[in-house]
Amino acid sequence: MGEMKLFFGPNHPGLHGNFSVHMYVEGDTVIRARPVPGFLHRGFEKLMERRLWYQNLALIPRICVQEPDINEACYAMAIEKIAKVEVPERAQWIRMIVLELARIANHMWAFGGVGGPTGMYTSMYWSVSDRDKVLDLFEELSGARIYHMYIIPGGVRKDFPPNFEEKLVKLLDYIEGRLPEYETFILKNRILHTRLRGIATIDTETCLRIGVTGIGLRATGVPYDIRKVAPYLFYDKVEFDVPTATEGDALARISLKPQEIRQSIRIIRQVLEHMPSGPVNTKIADGNGLRIRVPKGMAYAMVESTRGEYGYLVVSDGEEKPYRVAVRGASYPQGLYGVEHLMPGTRIDDVPIWLDTMGVCAPEIDR
Amino acid sequence: MMNSMNNGNVDHNVEKVFDELKSMFGGCEVVQIDERQYKLIVPSDKTLGMLTYLKSIGYSHLSIITCVDWIEEKKFELVYILFNWSNGVTFLVSTFIDRDKPIFYTVKDMWPTAEYYERDVHEFFGVEFEGNENCKKPLMLELWNDLPPLRKDFDPLKYSKEHFPDRSYDKDPMHEARIIRGDIEGDIEGGEIDG
Repeated sequence: MGEMKLFFGPNHPGLHGNFSVHMYVEGDTVIRARPVPGFLHRGFEKLMERRLWYQNLALIPRICVQEPDINEACYAMAIEKIAKVEVPERAQWIRMIVLELARIANHMWAFGGVGGPTGMYTSMYWSVSDRDKVLDLFEELSGARIYHMYIIPGGVRKDFPPNFEEKLVKLLDYIEGRLPEYETFILKNRILHTRLRGIATIDTETCLRIGVTGIGLRATGVPYDIRKVAPYLFYDKVEFDVPTATEGDALARISLKPQEIRQSIRIIRQVLEHMPSGPVNTKIADGNGLRIRVPKGMAYAMVESTRGEYGYLVVSDGEEKPYRVAVRGASYPQGLYGVEHLMPGTRIDDVPIWLDTMGVCAPEIDR
Repeated sequence: MMNSMNNGNVDHNVEKVFDELKSMFGGCEVVQIDERQYKLIVPSDKTLGMLTYLKSIGYSHLSIITCVDWIEEKKFELVYILFNWSNGVTFLVSTFIDRDKPIFYTVKDMWPTAEYYERDVHEFFGVEFEGNENCKKPLMLELWNDLPPLRKDFDPLKYSKEHFPDRSYDKDPMHEARIIRGDIEGDIEGGEIDG
């Protein structure tokens, strides 16, 4: 049978984001694949060098559309490391709540994302509608549903609005009540099992060799989580487990998501118990209003995103603008090297599942 | 399977590593960034040896390879970020290469993903990595014909002005919008919008 080249790109409903794969197929099996990023390259890193430190806050959440808060956290934490500023305790606890809420929202979104390629639309309707309830809370907290610009260098923008904590507890109860339904009706559904079991399997050795982190690695049985191994904020003061699976396939990765949501809920509950009152931000450096000057230096800050290690390398030369910011997207290894070397052998109709469950996110590769 | 390990109070044992690094690779400078992060500045001829050594003692996760353009010093700074999953320590291995002749060596045999990080650095800074045969293939920027864009002497505004001329508008869209909304009276070309 002859080889045929197929373009799988943003025009395909199974592909989330502006990313494409040139697939060389024989029959319905991919024999070679070439990742083609760059559809939405907007030069974030260059633009950041031309904007003030605080101006960049409006720009950076857009690097990862589905999970914007991790960008704010990495950027702020890297600047704080360079400036050697101690962030007020309450702000750090609030950041943990925001990051875990973002985690829940993004797991919901990804959980829905797998509904498209598998034809399991219930999954999509349910999780996207439940995610919206998290966004409602974000709107109340920050004024925005998606791009919050809430975590700033030195702390967070402002304290909780009135009655926020009660609403948060109510939301956590609601989501926790929904999870058994997700597990019964979606994860135990025959459609999902038939379509996901044994698909896009990856082993531990390959993950570690090419640098896959997060759920991709944990689904192969390795309990590596940056929140545990190199705790930032106050993750060393809360108790939580790192769910793992051993199969390393698409089903294992999806099945870990509700378990991770449970752990996020557990963390937020503990944060609400521990959180003291007090100021929520501090001055990061000398300067006039928003025109701060960050001292000379270089620092790398990373967080555990839903897709793995997400990090910012920030370099300052002591001026009003960053000298250089480099973004390490969580899906860079699997999105580029992984597509080229691991995707061959997959059937055409499983390619969207491959990209979706590996968490390939185009904007963080393009940045 | 669940795991409850917590690495809050682990002895990172990095001092011993620094002593060994300094004895094995002379001229290595260590700067502490925070509790779990150190920058290692190393001469370019000793960088590959150090990366190999660090990988062998557990700093095996390569987060990213990136570059900083120090135009006034006429240097490119290559930064390799290595992470150790067993003690949570990050090393930023930094080396300076000549900006006028930016050639370095590939590490793709140690970390396969480095192939793409190096292509990225080549595309945006113009650094060549010997041994990486795909290094010069375009990755994000197709048909790019100017200076590598993350170099400090590349001016994006000038580039935009040259390549994308300003559009000129014959009509004032805000004025038209007000007519359509009925705020003011007037004619718009093409008549009223139905419905």
